[in-house]
Amino acid sequence: MNFKLLSTLTFILLVFPVSIKAQNAETLLQNMDNLMSAPKDKIAIVEMTVTNKYEDEKVREAILKQKGTDRKMYRYTKPEKKAGIATLSLPGDIMWLYMPSFGKPIKISLLSKNQSFTGTDFSYEDMSGTPYSERYTPKLLKSDKPDTYMLELTPKTNKTTYSKIVISIDKKHNYPVKMAFFDKDKAYEKLATYKYVKKGNYWYAQEVLMEDLQKNHSTKIVMKNVKFDQGLKDEEFEVEKLMTN
Amino acid sequence: MAFNSNNIYKKIISFRWITIILVIISTCFFGFQLSNLTIDADIIKSLPDDDKNAKLLKHISKNFGGNNMGVIILETDNIYQTKVLEHVRILTDSLSKIDGIASVSSLTNIINIKGSDYGIEVGRLVDEFELPTSPEEFQTLRNNILSNNMYKGTIVSEDETSTLIIFNLEDEANVNAVAKNVLDKTKQLNLPETLYYTGSPMLVTYISELMKSDLTRLLPLAFLVIAFILFFSFKTISGVILPLLTAVISIVWSLGLMAFLGFSMSMISNNIPIILLAIGSAYAIHVINRINQLHAQNRSDTVQTALAYVLVPVILAATTTMIGFVSFIFGAYLEMIVDFGIFTALGTLFACLLSIFFVPAIMSFKKTKKVTTEIKNPNNSSITTYLLEPLNKLLFKYPKRILVIWILLIATSIFGLFSIKRSVDIQEYFKKNNPTRLAEKIMVDKFGGTKPVFVLFKGNMQSPEVLKTMQKTAEYMEQSPDIYTSMSIAVLISELNFAITGNRDIPEDPVQIEQLWFLLDGNEALERFVSDDLVEGIIISKFKSPDNQSKKVFAEYMNAFIKENSTENCQIEITGMPFVDITMDQSLINSQMGSISIAIIFVIFIVGLILRSLKSGFYASIPIIAAILILFGVMGLSGISLNIATVLVASVALGIGIDYSIHIISHFNHVFKNTQNFKTAIKESIIISGNAIIINVIAVSAGFLMLVFSDMVPLQYFGLLIAISMISSGLGAITLLPAILILVNKKHIK
Repeated sequence: MNFKLLSTLTFILLVFPVSIKAQNAETLLQNMDNLMSAPKDKIAIVEMTVTNKYEDEKVREAILKQKGTDRKMYRYTKPEKKAGIATLSLPGDIMWLYMPSFGKPIKISLLSKNQSFTGTDFSYEDMSGTPYSERYTPKLLKSDKPDTYMLELTPKTNKTTYSKIVISIDKKHNYPVKMAFFDKDKAYEKLATYKYVKKGNYWYAQEVLMEDLQKNHSTKIVMKNVKFDQGLKDEEFEVEKLMTN
Repeated sequence: MAFNSNNIYKKIISFRWITIILVIISTCFFGFQLSNLTIDADIIKSLPDDDKNAKLLKHISKNFGGNNMGVIILETDNIYQTKVLEHVRILTDSLSKIDGIASVSSLTNIINIKGSDYGIEVGRLVDEFELPTSPEEFQTLRNNILSNNMYKGTIVSEDETSTLIIFNLEDEANVNAVAKNVLDKTKQLNLPETLYYTGSPMLVTYISELMKSDLTRLLPLAFLVIAFILFFSFKTISGVILPLLTAVISIVWSLGLMAFLGFSMSMISNNIPIILLAIGSAYAIHVINRINQLHAQNRSDTVQTALAYVLVPVILAATTTMIGFVSFIFGAYLEMIVDFGIFTALGTLFACLLSIFFVPAIMSFKKTKKVTTEIKNPNNSSITTYLLEPLNKLLFKYPKRILVIWILLIATSIFGLFSIKRSVDIQEYFKKNNPTRLAEKIMVDKFGGTKPVFVLFKGNMQSPEVLKTMQKTAEYMEQSPDIYTSMSIAVLISELNFAITGNRDIPEDPVQIEQLWFLLDGNEALERFVSDDLVEGIIISKFKSPDNQSKKVFAEYMNAFIKENSTENCQIEITGMPFVDITMDQSLINSQMGSISIAIIFVIFIVGLILRSLKSGFYASIPIIAAILILFGVMGLSGISLNIATVLVASVALGIGIDYSIHIISHFNHVFKNTQNFKTAIKESIIISGNAIIINVIAVSAGFLMLVFSDMVPLQYFGLLIAISMISSGLGAITLLPAILILVNKKHIK
């Protein structure tokens, strides 16, 4: 064995585990993204329960129609006062709001994505349809549980509220179990806990609990009557559709 | 004499061990409690619950967090620079990470709602991730700020040199800890711009710090000065240690009791240690002075005999001083003044008890030989030789002239009395170049003031009627020259409506209002304007002028509007610091008049009762009434205003100053009864009691004068004015009172 070959082999042996690790982290995140975006479309009833620090609860209900990851329409049914209000998110972070009493849809430009999503503990950034693997660089960490992987995600751009997200991913099915969000000071800010169930071919988050640890505030989202692959068309997500029930 | 029973004096001596042990145990107990003593400089908490304005202010502070708002003013040459905005962003981020801070609002994170060609923009005024850099971007930002009513006087000053970073504390936050954290964290950032701190949490913490620094600096200073004076007066170690020990023990007991009963130190009760140091030592001085005068071989007898002389005047002196303090309980508006009255009166009682039980107990152990060499005969002291003896001659020679001089002094003072100003402005607590005062000035000059005004609306916050009334009230209010701007949920709703429809009115349709509300859901600003159950809402505004007359005019102006516009569905009430100030200002006069008249009546009555002569009571009160008139004259002529600290001076001065006259009168009565010789009685009173009075005046005044070095302006005046009152009441006791006695008893003088 000549020296060149020996050096190359040594190099490969040294670097290979690292690249496997990196490869693994990226693949794991991609797998999670794939699982989350697997259905072509979905229709569900979404129940949002917001609990403040005094443990007062506010409950909202909306019908969700979603196509792919970046077309979403929420039409509120509860509370009664807000019934009929609808939001439409389109690719390119475009958002439309329809308030029936004003009779016309309003395009909303959000200057900041860390704003709360309609009074919940989810920010517009948390609700974004853009896959995590496009926004973050993952790193594999040592998991504290045998049945989960643990990834540390660092943002690819500085235009984000979070300095990092630590995700626990179910080893067997690739769905997220927990996500811990850290703010710019690397302080623990929010914790999302997921309860995934399988319906037909798809896994989906039947329950998500987002806790804002700094504000002692939480939001629980429960998906009911979930139906996948209903053949929703792009036309269903046109702005005019906001005005029709 | 009423207490002329040798038994009592004997018992005091025979139980001396019990006394000493009890004092040691109590001092250990209360000393231990001292570690639990907290400082609370929050004036809002001290407002009485039975006052309508104060009650409403407390309600609003509790429900809308109005009292928990801190402000950082960032000042530079021009705000519209990328690096300045970057610093505002860093400050905003740093503050929001501090435990106990619920929300932060600044130029870099404030909500912005504006209409655009295609709809509305809801977001931040500035994109924190892409701060403006070009002159065009800054011009757009400037235009956005100027065109929006929500930012008027709240974010950037009109001269573009200052911006505010406003933070709200959580309900249960430790105000002092948060404020200290704010100071530490922002100072660590080392920003090139100047930062000023204001708002209730910062102010309260700052005052607490000043109070602590005052206590730790001034108390030892007063202690040393009094020790120095005592040493020069008595020339004995016991003459220094015993009065100071009495004072220190009474301080420990009263502050320990305060802590034990769960009271906090306020900016008024912060004075208690210095007051007790000055007056607590006085009773012991009289006891020691008498013991030192009696050259008996058997020390126990000397102490007993001395007690026979001083017990009544010391009890009387303490009682009158206590009356001075207790008089604050009646007519005082602020609870902290009532607490001050109670605990200083208790401290006085402790000092008195220690002087008549503990001091004689200790003195009875002194060895005869040593003491006799140490005894200082007042008849030979320089005070006697150079001051009291010539004074005695002068009094008998020119009693009328002395009286005339006093009458002239009193007349001048009465003239000055009418120009006394009143002030309830807390900013006057600070020296002129103090950063807090500078911050206040910037807030008044550039951001429309700091004194919060709140209008509370009770009704359905989503009803057009209530919101329209809110809008109408705000418009009416802003016509007042002292209101620069106001903010409420009605402004947010009308701005949203404007962004969507181009109409700045409140929508007529309640459903539209409810749907606009959807856009505000989850916005932290909402908590500051409406209650969770949407049945209460407030207009927040600031009042500019510190002038009391302007506050009264504004109160009348607003009350007329409220009377006309308050309905069953929309009940309106108004409160705020200007309204509290009006009541506080009125209470200064009431409290002053109330406490002085109560004190004078009680003093004449009690002195008369114990000396068994109402005439004696009346005479005793003449020098102190003169001293109080002089005090007010000095205040009026020198422009020192009547405020929450100086309002205490007259009653405190009365309580302490009357003691001098009591000593002269009781000494005079005692000698006159024994000798039936008027001249001897006057002479002995002036020479013997006069000596103690002069030592006492110097010691007490010097102690109080240490307050001149306080960081808080009213306390400086408090110290100065008490010293002036002590000197004038002391002088009154040894000049005016004997002159009157001589003139009234001319027939007795042979």
